[in-house]
Amino acid sequence: MDKNKSNIDLEISDRRNFFKKTVAISVTALAGTSLLASQNATFGDGEPEILNHAKWGQVWGDPVSKNLYGVPSPYEHNVIRRNTKLLASGNFRASIAVTPLHESEGIITPNGLFFSRSHGGTCFVDPNEFRLMIHGLVDKPLVLTLEELKRYPRVTRTHFIECPANGGQEWRAPQFNSLQFSKGFMSSAEWTGVYIKDLIKDLGLDLSKAQWMLAEGSDNSEMGRTVPIDKVLDDAMLVWGQNGEALRPEQGYPVRLLLPGWEGNLCVKWLKRLEFSQEPWYAKEETSKYTNLKPSGKAIQHFYANEVNSTVVTPSPEKPWTHLKDGDMVEIEGLAWSGMGTITGVDLSFDGGKNYVKAKLKGLVLPKSWTRWSYMHKYKKGDVLLLTSRATDDAGFIQPTIDEETLVMGVEAVYHRNAVETWEVTADGKVNHVQIRTDHRETKGVNNA
Amino acid sequence: MRKFNTKLITTVSAITLSAFFAAGCVGNDATPESKWKTGSDIGGGVTYIMDGDKTGPYYVNSDAHKMSISNGRVPTAAELKAWNVDLQPRGIGSPNGQGIPVGSGSVEEGEELYDAKCLSCHGDFGAGYGTYPALGNGNAYELNKTLTNNRYLDPEADGPTRVFGSYWPQLTTMFWYIRDAMPHPKSKTLTTDEVYALTAYMLYINEIEVNGELVEEEFVLSNENFLDVRMPNEDGFEPNIAGANSLPGVRAYFNNPANYGAQKVKYEERCMTDCQDESAKVVKIQNGGIQSFTPPLSVVRDLPKVKKAGIDVLEVYKNNCSSCHDGMLSVGSDDWANYTTKGIDKVYENAISGTDAGMPAMGGVSMSKENFKTLVDYLITGKIK
Ligand code: HEC
Ligand code: HEC
Repeated sequence: MDKNKSNIDLEISDRRNFFKKTVAISVTALAGTSLLASQNATFGDGEPEILNHAKWGQVWGDPVSKNLYGVPSPYEHNVIRRNTKLLASGNFRASIAVTPLHESEGIITPNGLFFSRSHGGTCFVDPNEFRLMIHGLVDKPLVLTLEELKRYPRVTRTHFIECPANGGQEWRAPQFNSLQFSKGFMSSAEWTGVYIKDLIKDLGLDLSKAQWMLAEGSDNSEMGRTVPIDKVLDDAMLVWGQNGEALRPEQGYPVRLLLPGWEGNLCVKWLKRLEFSQEPWYAKEETSKYTNLKPSGKAIQHFYANEVNSTVVTPSPEKPWTHLKDGDMVEIEGLAWSGMGTITGVDLSFDGGKNYVKAKLKGLVLPKSWTRWSYMHKYKKGDVLLLTSRATDDAGFIQPTIDEETLVMGVEAVYHRNAVETWEVTADGKVNHVQIRTDHRETKGVNNA
Repeated sequence: MRKFNTKLITTVSAITLSAFFAAGCVGNDATPESKWKTGSDIGGGVTYIMDGDKTGPYYVNSDAHKMSISNGRVPTAAELKAWNVDLQPRGIGSPNGQGIPVGSGSVEEGEELYDAKCLSCHGDFGAGYGTYPALGNGNAYELNKTLTNNRYLDPEADGPTRVFGSYWPQLTTMFWYIRDAMPHPKSKTLTTDEVYALTAYMLYINEIEVNGELVEEEFVLSNENFLDVRMPNEDGFEPNIAGANSLPGVRAYFNNPANYGAQKVKYEERCMTDCQDESAKVVKIQNGGIQSFTPPLSVVRDLPKVKKAGIDVLEVYKNNCSSCHDGMLSVGSDDWANYTTKGIDKVYENAISGTDAGMPAMGGVSMSKENFKTLVDYLITGKIK
């Protein structure tokens, strides 16, 4: 007879006895609570996760010498950026990969999940060959290497960057049953760099003439945009640090422009040149695109700031409430943000925006930054809810209803859509993206001025 | 001439502040931010102006921002010439344009270049192909009228057509963009004359008139007549950004929320009950909406599937080749016969180094040549080895 086997048997039966004993003791200790009784019915002696040794607890883990740059747990492999062919101009080099907001925590996006948008692909700039040229209406034009740029006094700020087309596919109707795709054209980070006003302080900028600054990238599409001098002299930065490390290539390594609160497209990546001028430029991305066509046939150009906005993050179409039991206390959590200023409050509606209650702000409330908000809710199985969040900012703005926004902007504007958005929670806890709006085929008589 | 120095920054913000305080600065009730000193931003919001050692909630080393730091060097004339190549429709105090280079090209030359270097993505006569953008769609002046088509009243109606001819305000944009960004997989490879020719061809396919005359095949575009071209939608944009003193107008525009559908309200007066119009109804996603997500949505926590050695031919094809080859030289099609006559090794070679007719080097993928050949074999034969 196999000696080893009998040893193992013995060990197992010993363990069983041991666990029986422990369970018995705990039951006595807590007897009378119905909670425990119901758990015993489901688990018998208890859950194997607790009753057995964990498989990772009995073997060597990885040595510290593995993954000298850390990577997420392999179990998190579904927490990733995603893309869709429908958001590509032909191919995935003039396209966008969006952030999994439904998995987001706090007000910082990990660098690997930061949304990625380019017009000619992500390029890989050699930092040794990086040069920044500053010229135009200055007495002294300047060329800097990366090392020289980094010698200016550092500034660190937490700001979101949002593509103004965030939500832009849904002017006419909801299309994405997904938080990632309906709001994930944005991310947030702590950025480190230098104020442009510090950089150009001694270059003799001619303020009697200079109204505009061209920021130009060195990528395949030489992406450039025109920035008004007011922003340049206010809080515009050139940044090289993102959440404590160098910018990721997708974010413009080694240096990008950061215009806090303003369109992501204006925050030019892979930067090579700043030029000051009296007259503006008319780059492709400020004429053909990133302009908002109104019902009058005129389009808004130079639409800078992303307006006040918010979304419910938990629950979401991706993370529904199907597992909740009647009476469960659950946190409704969300994000609010404004490129116009600082979030002052968020209200939550359970009936699609008819009536609101005040939600609580959480954590740091910073200018032109993501802000977390929260509301505690007792879940009632079978209830159908229409969850709508609505944010306000210290510039005095409040999110409009869809009808209010489309009355002025029509539905062809593509960019800068910030009306309130709604999740429908169905009787069985599923979450669907819906919109609360008037069908003007029925009501007509619209002011299209 | 006013010179920019640290002292001036303060003056500029002070002026900005006093001028726009009434319109821009809205107080808010007992929020922590109301402690911060704010000014009015040109984009319609607030800015957090420096207040001692703080801006908004952030501390700064205000000494660092007063010191004179001079790093770097002055660029050489040749360096400036190499990089300062942007185009502007107007120069300082002049309607004469800025940076428009000497050169010329005809519509005919442009058409030849277009067919060789652009058609594979942008389609016949710039009609667009797949999700590659259209560069024209018929008569620009007629299409310009569609900009008032707004599917606001009827979601099923015809929308506006925004292409170069009907929408772009300036021709400088086209020249600058083609020269710096196209052809997409091989940008900055066209000569000045070639860019003139292609720009002329863009005018031609959009049926633009120059000095009252329709652009025909013989039309030659050059630095001489460049600024004679006026785009139909030149005045189609607001606010005005042209001219020596346009910023106050821009500021005024964005400080009026009615211009862009924004709402302002005193915080304590915001609507809390009965806020929605009766006519507003729940609109659901139609026909399942857009679901073609890559990779598909999933929130499961498990271990990723171990990938097979080599490449997943179908996956690589879908992500890297399908955007072009679904429509021409498609998987297993007879058209490949015209290519394989020169010998399969030459086909591999062309595909690996890319061709002027629009095949990007290796189709833009990075993998071993052996794997790439497997992919090409699949494309030609339709079979996976
Ligand atoms: C490999 C495919 C490809 C080829 C070849 C190509 N393009 Fe493009 N083109 C694109 C893509 C992709 C975009 C969109 C870029 C973006 O979204 O930023 C584009 C955009 C454009 C635009 C701007 C369209 C608009 O309305 O915004 C113009 C003009 C243009 N291309 C001209 C050309 C010309 C001229 C050539 C030939 C010299 C050419 N392209 C060759 C892929 C291509
Ligand atoms: C941007 C569009 C585009 C993409 C993406 C693309 N191709 Fe092509 N390809 C073309 C065009 C256009 C031609 C025809 C070129 C010619 O006639 O010289 C071509 C030709 C080829 C040829 C024939 C080369 C020759 O001259 O014999 C092969 C092989 C090929 N492609 C393979 C691929 C593979 C494999 C991929 C994906 C990894 C791919 N292509 C991606 C546009 C593309």
